[in-house]
Amino acid sequence: MIKINNLDFAYKNTQVFKNISLEFQKGNIYGLLGENGVGKTTLLKLICGLQKPVHGSVTVDGITPSMREPQFLQNVYFLPEEVITEDTTPEKFIQKIGVFYPRYDFALFNQLMKELEVDLSKKFNELSHGQKKKALLACAMSLQTDYLFLDEPTNGLDIPSKALFRKVISQYCSDETTVIISTHQVKDVENLIDPIVILDKDDVLMNASFAEITDKIYFEYSPERLQDAYYTEMLPGGYINVMPNTEHLESNVNIEALFNAVMKNKETIKNLMK
Amino acid sequence: MNNTFNINRFGKILKHDGLNFFPNFILALAILWAIPVVIYLFTALMPTDGTTHIYDAMARVNIIDFLLKIAIIIAPAILYKTCNDSRKGIGYAMLPASTLEKFLSMVIFCVIVTPIIYMAGALAIDSILALINGPYDGFALSMYFDKYAQIDYSIANHDVANLLDDTWPLFINSLSPTFMTILSLLGTLMLSSIFMFGNMIFKKRKTGKMIGILILLLIIIMIIFVNYVANNEAITEYLKQLDEDNITEFIERIIFIWMNAALYTEIIVSALMLFGVYRKIKTQKY
Repeated sequence: MIKINNLDFAYKNTQVFKNISLEFQKGNIYGLLGENGVGKTTLLKLICGLQKPVHGSVTVDGITPSMREPQFLQNVYFLPEEVITEDTTPEKFIQKIGVFYPRYDFALFNQLMKELEVDLSKKFNELSHGQKKKALLACAMSLQTDYLFLDEPTNGLDIPSKALFRKVISQYCSDETTVIISTHQVKDVENLIDPIVILDKDDVLMNASFAEITDKIYFEYSPERLQDAYYTEMLPGGYINVMPNTEHLESNVNIEALFNAVMKNKETIKNLMK
Repeated sequence: MNNTFNINRFGKILKHDGLNFFPNFILALAILWAIPVVIYLFTALMPTDGTTHIYDAMARVNIIDFLLKIAIIIAPAILYKTCNDSRKGIGYAMLPASTLEKFLSMVIFCVIVTPIIYMAGALAIDSILALINGPYDGFALSMYFDKYAQIDYSIANHDVANLLDDTWPLFINSLSPTFMTILSLLGTLMLSSIFMFGNMIFKKRKTGKMIGILILLLIIIMIIFVNYVANNEAITEYLKQLDEDNITEFIERIIFIWMNAALYTEIIVSALMLFGVYRKIKTQKY
């Protein structure tokens, strides 16, 4: 489990987090959502130990990530947004780093490369941006770490690749694996993530599972705009209304509408979800 | 699990760094290996007026030594160029090995492997060229490991206790070939550790910046030293009294002080720089 307690973090004079507390339970695929610049990548870097909190603590299974101990590092993998590759083939790359990870599976790597439709024989620099991202995803998943952190993994992927991405994440991540996907393209991770964490500047607005969300928030599709909705958006054929679920009705979460509702009613929804 | 040092993990990081060694460094090594060949060709093809140009083995040893220092200076920035880069260095930081293991591997490749590989290649090329009936006189290989024995250390015959004040903390008592070899090896370690540290603290133009800092430091030290000597009455009085009889003793005294200072400096600077490298590996933010 990842525990963040009273975390303060700043880059020189720019405050990123102010006294935030948050928990990530094991075995879930978290969606880490937020507008650009709210600190999604920074939070992932803090959890990976690539940054150190100014105040407060971050622990992963009781270990402080910033100590960068091998016991911690062999259980986590961070795939940054920016594609940085070596002048080699994905196969040679994974063989070079895979030996450090106790559950690394080369057969799984080959299978993932096949499923993601990446040419095994080509070097990274001969692959397109999207192909590189998929190759790195195959590398990351074949390491079978307990924690997998993906920063904007669908950026630069075409539509079929986005579907392949969702497929391999849901199919190959074990029940023990905790995945945190940071993204601002919420539609790309629809039907994949649960729970959702929504970050705001200095703050965490929501950390809740779909069940917890639909228990308190109702998503209604109606022909007209409803007055007491947190957020309303016109869709083809009507409106999506994000409402308080006072009558405990069942509905399906529309992540994009939820995100916009939270952004428009920060304090209200934050207090509602407490 | 031992999070500080594990021999299996250390083997893995050595292998990892080793796999990066040749692809990253081979071009620079090839250029350094080629320089003596270019000098050879230049010497061989130079027009002569009947006399033979002999390219002495000891002169070649000095060139190889100089190029070795270049190899040592550039090695950290080539082999571990991205390890402190906020984007490209993430992979290195996240590799499941301890700080000590990463540090030791870095030291091994920069301080031991680089000189060995460079020297092996350079001496092999020199030997091949010496076998050809050309301008080379003798083999650098036969002389290299014995080079300090070639120098006449007449000072070694003196009684150091009479030569120096008792207050000087001496590490050595003669400028023997063994001492000079140790001094040279420590010099290599110091040079390497300085540029390893520079590689860790600078993000771009790492080697150039470190050379600039060293030149600046040298100028500052020289100014302070000259000022100190010029303004110290005891020293100036002593220098005025120097005549032909005691000038040799003075020079010997200076050489001994210099050598001792060099030894202390090499040990202290190397230790500080290596500690700095270790700390930077451990605490580098990305």
